[in-house]
Amino acid sequence: MNRIWAIAMNTYREAIRDRVLFSLLFFGAVVLVASLVVREITIGDQEKVVRGVAQGAISLFSSIIAMFLGIGLVRKELERKTIFTIASKPISRWMFLLGKYLGLLFTLAVNILLMLALYVLLMLLDQGLPHSDLLAFTVLLFVELMLLTAWATLFSTYSGPTTATAFTLSVFVIGHLADDIWLFGQQADHEWIRKLSEILYWLLPNFEIFNVQPQTVHELPIALGYVLSATGYGLGYTAAVLALAVFIFQKRDFA
Amino acid sequence: MKMHGPPTRHGKDFSAVEIKGLGKTYYSGFWKTPHVGLRSLDLNVQKGEIFGFIGPNGAGKTTTIKCMLALHRPTAGQVFLLGKNARDPDSRRKVGFLPERPFFYQHLTASEFLDFYARLFAIPRNQRVRLCGELLEKVDLAHVADVPLGRFSKGMLQRAGVAQALINEPELVILDEPMSGLDPLGRMLVRDIILEQRELGRTVFFSSHILSDVQSICDRVGLIVAGELKAMGRIDTLIDRQIKHVDCTIDVPSGFAFKGEVVARQGHEHLLRVPPEKVEELLTKVMSSGGRVIQVQPARMTLEQVLVEELGKTGKGATRGSTGSDAAHREQTRT
Repeated sequence: MNRIWAIAMNTYREAIRDRVLFSLLFFGAVVLVASLVVREITIGDQEKVVRGVAQGAISLFSSIIAMFLGIGLVRKELERKTIFTIASKPISRWMFLLGKYLGLLFTLAVNILLMLALYVLLMLLDQGLPHSDLLAFTVLLFVELMLLTAWATLFSTYSGPTTATAFTLSVFVIGHLADDIWLFGQQADHEWIRKLSEILYWLLPNFEIFNVQPQTVHELPIALGYVLSATGYGLGYTAAVLALAVFIFQKRDFA
Repeated sequence: MKMHGPPTRHGKDFSAVEIKGLGKTYYSGFWKTPHVGLRSLDLNVQKGEIFGFIGPNGAGKTTTIKCMLALHRPTAGQVFLLGKNARDPDSRRKVGFLPERPFFYQHLTASEFLDFYARLFAIPRNQRVRLCGELLEKVDLAHVADVPLGRFSKGMLQRAGVAQALINEPELVILDEPMSGLDPLGRMLVRDIILEQRELGRTVFFSSHILSDVQSICDRVGLIVAGELKAMGRIDTLIDRQIKHVDCTIDVPSGFAFKGEVVARQGHEHLLRVPPEKVEELLTKVMSSGGRVIQVQPARMTLEQVLVEELGKTGKGATRGSTGSDAAHREQTRT
């Protein structure tokens, strides 16, 4: 466990010393602050619009950071050949991959917390203490990022940076359209299209399950059972994707 | 209780490195054309010796090392490190490794870098602090302990790499081209460290292009060409076996005749170049003719010449893998 932790902490240290991460975080903060400006150009329920834009910014920039870091997670180690000195130590490949993944999750958690702190500060200045369902929003956003990062890690274990980026973006977009795939199948005239859409729906990740923004923006209650089941789905799916990543990573040669 | 796992060599009588029938085939291109990287390699390195692994570029040195450390999956054969199957990560617990042209985390300072690698061996904190300090001193980097590796020169990085290879006080040290990129002082430092490992009873397995270094510090060498081990043994036997001629300086009366190449002549003195098996016959004839033998000098080949000859026999690799010194030797032979 100590060795996994060492790899995780090194991954975290490398990420937080990366200027690109700070740039992304800075833009995220700018958009968050800019959400207050939106109030001035909005007609109607201005507070909801501000919450929507701010939470959307947190969600979007966290996802971009997750994809950016996830794609480079293993790829950079292979390209820079730093993997040679690590994989030649008494650690299994699954330990290496898990350590890298945990380090990335730690980085993402710190990023989310920083953005969330800024969000709470802005809300206090603008509208008062945020609704308690912000916690559910945060938990589910983090689970979504866990799953997205697991996919990015999987792609980065065997493909180049361009391919891994394209694949991860595709999974991100398809994952947010999973419900539409289901709906498309249900409206089809042919049975095989219905079946195919059902298979795809259950096979592909459903990122919309983690999206509780409509409730948090409108400050509607979110059932604990829903949060738990969505979290369970996310963790289970993440474990499966990571297991596949480990399986592929075990087999490959480090050139 | 461990039910299954890779086989282990039991008892104390095992080699530091044991390679049996190691093969590696790569597949590349659209049609996945096979390329043989290693061909049924058998190799043994005894405990406490310095073993040099030589061969031209692309001969299979780095591939062998990668298979030894499970960085590559062999297509055939087995590797045992310190008696344990190399597939078992535990086999690397007492192994140190420096890759060729190492690249390390630029965001880490030299001391953070060593501490990180020490953690990968689960070395306790107190011991880590001591080892990191000692090793930075040893490779002459103590004065830059808090400088990020991103600001290090190539030579400094190589020395930092040597330090990380020794962080676990290994019983077996595997170094891939450890002298590359180093200035003469750096080379001397690494050479001294390698020799010190032998004094500590440790085994060193290293590949190098700088054959003079190999010849001066190795107990035994293995020569690999085109994925095949062409020769292996003690340096002296490997070189002795390769004596091609003996230069004999003799003082003989006029009319003396002997079949051999006359390299130089001055009065009655002749410098004859004869095959080793003809030396005894020549000397007997000189003595019986009333002449005298001034000097008998076997022309011993250098390791470099052994390598060049093997490359010539194979017909491969000579052009593919010529080192600067090989080229120099060929030039000498022509003139």
